[in-house]
Amino acid sequence: MNGTVLAAHVESFRFHDADAPALHDVTVSVPAGSLTAVLGGSGSGKSTLARLLAAWLPGHHGGTLRGRLDLGAAAFEFSGTGDDPRIDPGAWAAHVAYVPQDAAAVLSTIKDTVAGELAFGLENQGIPPEEMRLRISETARLTGIEGLLERDPATLSGGELRRVAIACAVIGRPAVLLADEPLGSLDPEGARAVEDLLRRLPGEGSSVVVFSSTADSLCRAASHWTVIGGGQPGGAAYDGGRQLAVGTPGELLAGNALARSGVVVPDIAVPEGVPAAAAARTAVVHTAAPLLELRDVCFSYGAGTVDVLRGVDLAVRPGEVVAVTGPNGSGKSTLLRQLNGLLRPSGGEVLLRGRPTEDTAAGLLAADVGLLFQDPRFQLFERTLEREVAFGLGDCRRFGRRTRDGTARERARAALAAVGLEGQAGGHPLELPASARRLLALATVIAREPAVLALDEPTVSLDRPGLDMLDRAIAAATKRGAAVVMVTHELRYAEARAHRVLRLDGGVLEAAD
Amino acid sequence: MSSGRLSLERLNPLTTLTAAAAVAVITTAAGNRLFSAAVFAGLLLLAARQARAASILGSSAAILLPFWTALLLMHGLFFPEGRVVLLEFGPAAVTREGLLFALDAGLRTGVFVLAFLLFSFTVRVPELVAVLSARGMPPRLGFAAASALTLLPAAGERLRRIRAAQEARGLVVGRSLPSRLLAARLQAVPLVLSLVHESGERAQALDARGFSAPGPRSALLAVRDSFRQRTARLLLIASAVAAVAGRVVFALTGGPQ
Repeated sequence: MNGTVLAAHVESFRFHDADAPALHDVTVSVPAGSLTAVLGGSGSGKSTLARLLAAWLPGHHGGTLRGRLDLGAAAFEFSGTGDDPRIDPGAWAAHVAYVPQDAAAVLSTIKDTVAGELAFGLENQGIPPEEMRLRISETARLTGIEGLLERDPATLSGGELRRVAIACAVIGRPAVLLADEPLGSLDPEGARAVEDLLRRLPGEGSSVVVFSSTADSLCRAASHWTVIGGGQPGGAAYDGGRQLAVGTPGELLAGNALARSGVVVPDIAVPEGVPAAAAARTAVVHTAAPLLELRDVCFSYGAGTVDVLRGVDLAVRPGEVVAVTGPNGSGKSTLLRQLNGLLRPSGGEVLLRGRPTEDTAAGLLAADVGLLFQDPRFQLFERTLEREVAFGLGDCRRFGRRTRDGTARERARAALAAVGLEGQAGGHPLELPASARRLLALATVIAREPAVLALDEPTVSLDRPGLDMLDRAIAAATKRGAAVVMVTHELRYAEARAHRVLRLDGGVLEAAD
Repeated sequence: MSSGRLSLERLNPLTTLTAAAAVAVITTAAGNRLFSAAVFAGLLLLAARQARAASILGSSAAILLPFWTALLLMHGLFFPEGRVVLLEFGPAAVTREGLLFALDAGLRTGVFVLAFLLFSFTVRVPELVAVLSARGMPPRLGFAAASALTLLPAAGERLRRIRAAQEARGLVVGRSLPSRLLAARLQAVPLVLSLVHESGERAQALDARGFSAPGPRSALLAVRDSFRQRTARLLLIASAVAAVAGRVVFALTGGPQ
């Protein structure tokens, strides 16, 4: 296949009210039938670029673009004035489809089956029902979701949801599919299914552009890479994301642009299960009394439902890092929520420093057990980063006046500095890139210096500097004698960082093989 | 989804919507205590036969019990026109007239609330949007109607998440009223902000899927309808109009009140 189906030159793009452009001097072109990747660390502007290419931003949403978009033979020039062309998002999406990081955002929310959700875009175009049914079954086969068609979209797992979102995007047979962090927060099985699908699509007529902070196996299958970066937003040297390098994966893996942008480069030559080089770990005093103990803990989400945890025993000592792996839906997050009292065991008990926690409110346990939620969006709720981290610090009776509490503010600033976000203390948490959002959630946990850190998938969507900060936070916590229990699907990370790796499957916790 | 022979989910959404509105209008227009009580009892029986009976009855109780209590306190104790005093507490007096007024208002409100909850818990939202769109309602209006039906459960779920996040950072929600009020205050702003943030994202995604595009639309599934349902809807509308007209005529002529 020849020819360019989509091209863009971003001279600059600035969000309304922003001091610096989010993106400048980037040129992208998408050949027909190709798989290409845009790589960049946190704050590099890659999600902004994806939204610009998807026509979610130019003109009326959020910012000022100077540059040019070319779709086939049609060209759109933007000078940042009121005379700029307005792009009809629906007409554009028929050619350039986009799946954002949060795949759930593309669902209409008014359909109660996956088939209905797939039909939504076709109904809006007035396509006859017989043709719709044909297209739905074709797309379901292509995306491997035949078994999900009658399911309620609200009940899908992360991997299933991502495939449904991709199916919704490609059912209109677009020339280009833009996928922002398509493998983020997926377990290995879900990630494999999405990767297979995205690698297959170019052969079916849709070019695929992957936007990622990790040079994973999907990106390595791409024919061409564009690396963008520009430092941490809020940092002194930040002047927006710009193009650092272009070339083939082989060329760019040999250079230093990936490192400059903060892209994670996993050693994919080493298969899962082979231990990575062990990071420096705090020595654990095995004779010390356990800081945290679970004794025969059972849990179910209601009478008549399957037991999620079935007699779980676990003892974690000061300074120890324990990793828990297991398939999606095996109860890993449920296990972590037993530790801080957000969920209570239906049988057995949880002990902190030898004392049962059953009569202690979750709000009081929070002083000793800090939980990093699996999805940072569910952990963050405040208006600024500083308010977010300061929430609940200091005197609990002073909720609401916390930012005026000098000590709380100091601790909040220190925690923000520990994750490299001190320059953005006044920003809005939900407007951060995914990596920074998770680091902010981590800052809310480490600010309290809890005795136990319960971390749910802490590595997901972190770029290279983000992973380093996570490592430093874990090292600092264990050094002061805290215990860490982390749930992760990244087995190699678990083996490198944890003293013990356990596996939760079928509600039973046992040592991983 | 559907269960039982009286399941309302099997009906066209317009039929259940028309029925809910007609029942509310006719009961209000009739203004008869026994009639209201009979309709309320009928709706309770119908609700009990639905697959989501527990949710319908639970939500009705959550709305009606505080409302009934307020009615009882306001009209039962302080009814200026009350003549037959049953009990006296200083300046307050329980009067027969006050109690009957509270009973009338309580039954009428009960019918209204139960009828519309029955509709909202048994309607299939996609079908409602499809029939509204097929009858020429602009898609955004249909979406707003559907969102209104799904907003409460969605906001409830969001509130639980925010509360969990705040508890995980030290918020202790006690049983006392001040503690609950503090928690509500701390959760209200994040709830509204997150719903607003999400609606912005959703609007862009909907636009990208052609939701705002002009031109004819189609529907994957035809919504069930029948001659009997169409006739029933016409009869319900005619009955509601007749009930209101009768009420107006009686009011003007001084006939039965």
